[in-house]
Amino acid sequence: MNSDLIDTVLGVAGLAVRFTVYVMLISPAGIVVLASFTREDTLSFLPSGFSLRWYEAAFSSSPFMSALWTSSQLAIVATIVVLILGTAAAFAIARYRFKGSSLFQSLVLSPLIVPIVVLGLGLLQFLAWVGLSNSFVGLFVGHLVIMLPYVVRTMIGGLLVLNRALEEAAMNLRARPFRVFRRITLPLLAPSLITAGVFAFVTSFGNVTLSSFLAVTGTVTLPVQIFTYVEYSYEPIVAAVSSIVIAVTIVVILIIERVIGVDKLF
Amino acid sequence: MSVVSLKNISKMYGATAAVESVSLDVEKGELLCLLGPSGCGKTTTLRMVAGFVKPTSGTVEIEGKEVTDLAPYRRDTGMVFQSYALFPHMTVAQNIAFGLENLGKPPKLREQRVQEMLELIELAHLSRRYPAELSGGQQQRVALARALAMNPAVLLLDEPFSNLDAQLRVRLREDLRSLLKRIQITTLFVTHDQEEALMFADRIMVMRNGGVEQVGTPSEIYETPATRFVAEFIGWCSIFDGMVNGQGEFSVGDSIRLPVDAGPGPATVIVRPEHVKPVEIPGQAHAFEARVTSSNYHGSLCRLRLDVSGQEVLMEAHYPHGRAPKVNERIAISINSKGVRRLPG
Ligand SMILES: Nc1ncnc2c1ncn2[C@@H]1O[C@H](COP(=O)(O)OP(=O)(O)OP(=O)(O)O)[C@@H](O)[C@H]1O
Ligand SMILES: [Mg+2]
Repeated sequence: MNSDLIDTVLGVAGLAVRFTVYVMLISPAGIVVLASFTREDTLSFLPSGFSLRWYEAAFSSSPFMSALWTSSQLAIVATIVVLILGTAAAFAIARYRFKGSSLFQSLVLSPLIVPIVVLGLGLLQFLAWVGLSNSFVGLFVGHLVIMLPYVVRTMIGGLLVLNRALEEAAMNLRARPFRVFRRITLPLLAPSLITAGVFAFVTSFGNVTLSSFLAVTGTVTLPVQIFTYVEYSYEPIVAAVSSIVIAVTIVVILIIERVIGVDKLF
Repeated sequence: MSVVSLKNISKMYGATAAVESVSLDVEKGELLCLLGPSGCGKTTTLRMVAGFVKPTSGTVEIEGKEVTDLAPYRRDTGMVFQSYALFPHMTVAQNIAFGLENLGKPPKLREQRVQEMLELIELAHLSRRYPAELSGGQQQRVALARALAMNPAVLLLDEPFSNLDAQLRVRLREDLRSLLKRIQITTLFVTHDQEEALMFADRIMVMRNGGVEQVGTPSEIYETPATRFVAEFIGWCSIFDGMVNGQGEFSVGDSIRLPVDAGPGPATVIVRPEHVKPVEIPGQAHAFEARVTSSNYHGSLCRLRLDVSGQEVLMEAHYPHGRAPKVNERIAISINSKGVRRLPG
């Protein structure tokens, strides 16, 4: 009787907590999307009316569109480069014992611990010292640095789970090392690579702090553009831009899920 | 000419030897078993043949060619791993075809060979399945087919039955033995199960602490073990440390007296349990009075541990249902002098 009551209370409480968590997770994005359809001239939590005028404004705003283009290019190219570098580093760490291997690992993973503000300041000084401040290369390198630990962590995990006997079996079946890598190692690491890629892309695409530090005159990334825009304007155009980003992200995630889903059938 | 020839190979890990001065010749078509307790260096030896471990010293030859420094993918071996190591992202047919692709065989030939292999292991109907969709026994057969498809000079098997349940194990090893004999492939087989080795092998190499203890046919290993370790490791036996007198009579304790073919001096003899028999009357030649210390029922056989004036004697005997002696019962036994073996050294 008494325990029934406790069970019920706990059940209700659990439901409430779950509901709260979901609401908290979804509501920021939901509010932004809702607000983007407003007819008004100012951003408000509950929009009045429905219109697509801010989407038109967003698509025809050259600062926002060029920022979106810059961010996409930066994130895509950096993701490809960092996947190669990070996988190589993960191989070195997971597969080989070499002098200074644990120092190397700590170094690669350190951007996870060092506050980005500190990292940004340091990078800024370093880039100035090597004459790359205020350059796209500098921004690119900065992004690589903060993306790298996610890739290395994920790939080390993937490599540790990968059964070495599979690679040995391939070698025993006369496959040369490169063929073993292409036919066995790589396909089996694909899920880890996709996870690492998503982490890396999101890290680059959403970054404000580091991008502000390493700002390049004339090329602004989208988060920085949004950030500076809301400082002096309350126009719903930022809500429309953010909604576009959310839509793109969802599409990308759906595509990836499809790819992994299809992969698992094999 | 032997197919695999190991000459004095050793493998050191730091200061400890995983394998020490092992020499071995495996003849064509032979089924040779590496047998020994866990950690004695069986897998390391097998991996040195496959090329995954480089010997610290000594040489490995395959079909008369030295391969000690050759990479695994340049050696003509086919290995079945303990975990089978089937490629999870390839179907059964793709797994079997993988090696043939690496050899650059044309698609027509590949398909034909894969089909042959599938028929050999009787899994043609499962060719499009993925390894995760197969039972343990089926996976084992696919791993075997994948290795055999290349027609390697030597087949290497590392405890291929250890992942299977006891009943399946017995059936599959009979099947596997007849298959290997039918295609007459030279095989190196690793196990720590002496029963499996006795049943499976043409010859057995017993290993201990990285070294070779004895090489011989199953009956040689069983009947005439070269060392106390082999005697104890293979099967069940009584071991007596005693003395031989001038008349060729071995004695141990107060009562055991056995004829042996040996000169006078201290000696160790073994007696296999099937050479010990219960008798009706004590007092006849080589008959002793014994007290039962443990009695284990094994279906048609009864395994008894006996105490003969302080010496432990093991006996295997058939008893009519319900007539097996109980613990502490006193019985009379005789030891067949033909079953008495003196250990060398
Ligand atoms: N890479 C390694 N580094 C250090 N020691 C090793 C390594 N590989 C094997 N050894 C050691 O070498 C010895 C022999 O190992 P091996 O794997 O050959 O034994 P095994 O006879 O196959 O045993 P099991 O029946 O348990 O498989 C063991 O003591 C093991 O600890
Ligand atoms: Mg082993």
